[in-house]
Amino acid sequence: MPIDVINLSHSYKTGTPFEHKVLFDVNLHISDGEFVGLIGPTRSGKTTLAQYLNALYIPRQGRVLIDNENTADKKADLVSIRHRVGYVFQNPEYQLFAPTVGEDIAFGPINQNLPQEEIDRLVKGSMEMVGLDFNTFCHRDIFALSGGQKRRAAIAGVLACRPKVLVLDDITSGLDPRGREEIMKVVKDLHLSQNITILFISNSMDEVALLARRLLVMDNGKIIMDGPTREVFARTEKLRSIGLELPEISIIIDSLQSAGFNLPRGILTVDEAISEIAAALHLREGHQ
Amino acid sequence: MEKIIETSALTYAYRAGSSKEVRALQNINMAVHKGEILAITGQNGSGKSTLARHFNGLLTPTSGRVLVNGLSTDDRNNIGEIRKKVGMVFQNPDNQLVSSIVEEDIAFGPENLGLPQSEIIERVDWALHILNLEELRRETPHNLSAGQKQQVAIAGVLAMKPECIILDEPTAHLDPRGRREVLESSLRLNREEGITLVLLTHFMNEVIHCSRMLIMDSGTVKVEGSPREVFLQGDEQIEKLKQMGLDYPVASRLAAGLNREGFNLPSDIIHHEEFIASLCQLTS
Amino acid sequence: MELTKNITLGVYLPGESAVHRLDPRTKIISVTLLIVLLLLARSYLAFGLVALFLAGMVYIAKIPPGYALRGLKPMLPVLILMWVFQLFLYQAPGTATLFQWWVFEATEAGLHMGNLIIMRVLFLFSVTTLLTLTTSVVSLTDGLENLLKPLRFIGIPYHELVMTLVIALRFVLILAEELEKIMKAQMARGVAFDRGNFIQKTKKVFPVFLPLFIGAFKRAEELIVAMDARSYTGGKGRTKMKTLRMGRVDFAAAVIMLVFTGIMIYIFTAFKAFI
Repeated sequence: MPIDVINLSHSYKTGTPFEHKVLFDVNLHISDGEFVGLIGPTRSGKTTLAQYLNALYIPRQGRVLIDNENTADKKADLVSIRHRVGYVFQNPEYQLFAPTVGEDIAFGPINQNLPQEEIDRLVKGSMEMVGLDFNTFCHRDIFALSGGQKRRAAIAGVLACRPKVLVLDDITSGLDPRGREEIMKVVKDLHLSQNITILFISNSMDEVALLARRLLVMDNGKIIMDGPTREVFARTEKLRSIGLELPEISIIIDSLQSAGFNLPRGILTVDEAISEIAAALHLREGHQ
Repeated sequence: MEKIIETSALTYAYRAGSSKEVRALQNINMAVHKGEILAITGQNGSGKSTLARHFNGLLTPTSGRVLVNGLSTDDRNNIGEIRKKVGMVFQNPDNQLVSSIVEEDIAFGPENLGLPQSEIIERVDWALHILNLEELRRETPHNLSAGQKQQVAIAGVLAMKPECIILDEPTAHLDPRGRREVLESSLRLNREEGITLVLLTHFMNEVIHCSRMLIMDSGTVKVEGSPREVFLQGDEQIEKLKQMGLDYPVASRLAAGLNREGFNLPSDIIHHEEFIASLCQLTS
Repeated sequence: MELTKNITLGVYLPGESAVHRLDPRTKIISVTLLIVLLLLARSYLAFGLVALFLAGMVYIAKIPPGYALRGLKPMLPVLILMWVFQLFLYQAPGTATLFQWWVFEATEAGLHMGNLIIMRVLFLFSVTTLLTLTTSVVSLTDGLENLLKPLRFIGIPYHELVMTLVIALRFVLILAEELEKIMKAQMARGVAFDRGNFIQKTKKVFPVFLPLFIGAFKRAEELIVAMDARSYTGGKGRTKMKTLRMGRVDFAAAVIMLVFTGIMIYIFTAFKAFI
């Protein structure tokens, strides 16, 4: 299910003293099955752009095509689009409202007017996808869950509509390292097993480095970089200049390269770094 | 070293005495020393926040004792003095700021202390200056970034001239730049103004800047020491920390990995700079 | 969808205009006076004058006029409903019938009453908004507190009252933002708030208001803890960074208000009310 953004611009609070433009002529194409990361300083327009992808915003300037359907078209079925493009918000547990976990997760499918059997199947499947055991959690009170569990329940709620595209907006913020690891694993598995297209917005460079194959960088309402993750993170100067941090590994590798070590560009994980540095060291020893 | 905060046999339970009693803290004996930066880390639910809230009397022990500069938090008459000495900054800046103008919000604390007007103004000026917020003094918090709002919250606590500031996951909801700014400001407060800091955090790159750290798990202090001591390499230690949901700092992991490959790097590396320096040393 | 764009109540628009610089007490007293005048006004001329006066204030305060009107938008549906009720249900002996619709009779008196009520509400809202747009939270608190101080003689905790009111105002915008966020989250799960009949639409309110309520309570709790941690113990023993001082601007404002009130009283007595 391809997504196309064409010459998109957006202003907030138009007509008030607080008016400001947040998107300037943005162009983007996301193909079926891609895992795309999106990073950028706060207020660079990431969330605004993302909310065009599930038709929460309709373009006034420019066009957005979801599966070749123009969202601004009067006949466009926005609700259907929102079922096909799932959106998980930051701190999604704050949107939970139903008495039990199962009922909250069922909310999406219920809005699709599906038969009860189907709804039950979807709820069970979603819970499994996020690692919440159906029998244990289905009838549990949502307020009795831990923070991490609530978050997974919220994600399951979005998955219950079986979206083809998933937008994840800073879904690991506020979690401890273990919680983050668990969510990242869920996301990775989803992408691999269900072949869902994923747009992963994050403030954690390390997470994006691990998960995304393609990386978009936004600054001041424009996409300023778009390419394979390794290549993007290799452009350290440019990233620093817009106030972004690099993944810690990249920072270290960068400093090592400055110190004269011959290391390839685009190293993103600790294990890769270890083998590359080891190789470089052996090489040096060999020359001595 | 002088102890600003001290707990003995601190136990705290929700719904104590009932059948639904939940022990959040069990028999905690620890201290915060004057001038240090103490990191308290641990998974969500380990009890860090609960412990921190005992330091300024927001919570009082179910059993055991908490002393702040020798004053017990059990005695409500001490609370005024205690809150003057120990300030606290929370995660969400929106839910800490009271006023719609930055300088007025910073004045809130000193006003509560009943200080004379000239002193309030002096302290507000001083706090704004230390945190480089002077340009924003007449701004409305609504127009600021989350990182800036958080710095305003810190300024508001700073204006009370506390001896110690507790920061409860202050960077949890900030972007990388905001995290950096808040961390730098906090470290500067310790370095230049001698303010003791207690930093609750998940971020290892913040922990390594602290002089001492505690790891909490299930309501007790499981590990205590300097970051260097805690992040010493060794499979057993790595496994132990993993059980508690924590990871080693990146530099340590790199050093450990290279040592496994047969190289000989110091086993207590935690900072980027040290790692790079020791690699350079290896090859010279 | 952008709800918060139209929220002007509780928003502070920083500025240094004459209105901004007025002592908050002057503004509060003026607002009270205006409210009383509005409640007494019964002729279109009176309301017209108030409108002119407010327009003048908006101009002096350098508030973009479009923005000033914007805050009225969310109220429109309710106002229209009220107007319709008055049109058909207001009883006054001897008034002319305008037209019939089913069992309902629209009267001339009803029309005027409807207009009266709408204008009153609109102007009351505008006056209050003008106050909050030009006065910071602390100024407002200080001003209100100062004026309500005599209440302590009858045992009312005036400081705490004022504090509550003022913080509530500040949270109007924050909660509107949260409402927007929750609505978006439920829309993202397929809820269409604009579809469905009245009953269906009402059902859709629950998934939005429960999280909002809970969110609001959480915020309140966190704010209380933060205030506690900054040694807030109520009004006793508190001092202020800024002293309230009346200046020349306030004298000018007082004169303007007196003149305006005089004109209004004349209009009340000289011109027939339409009701």
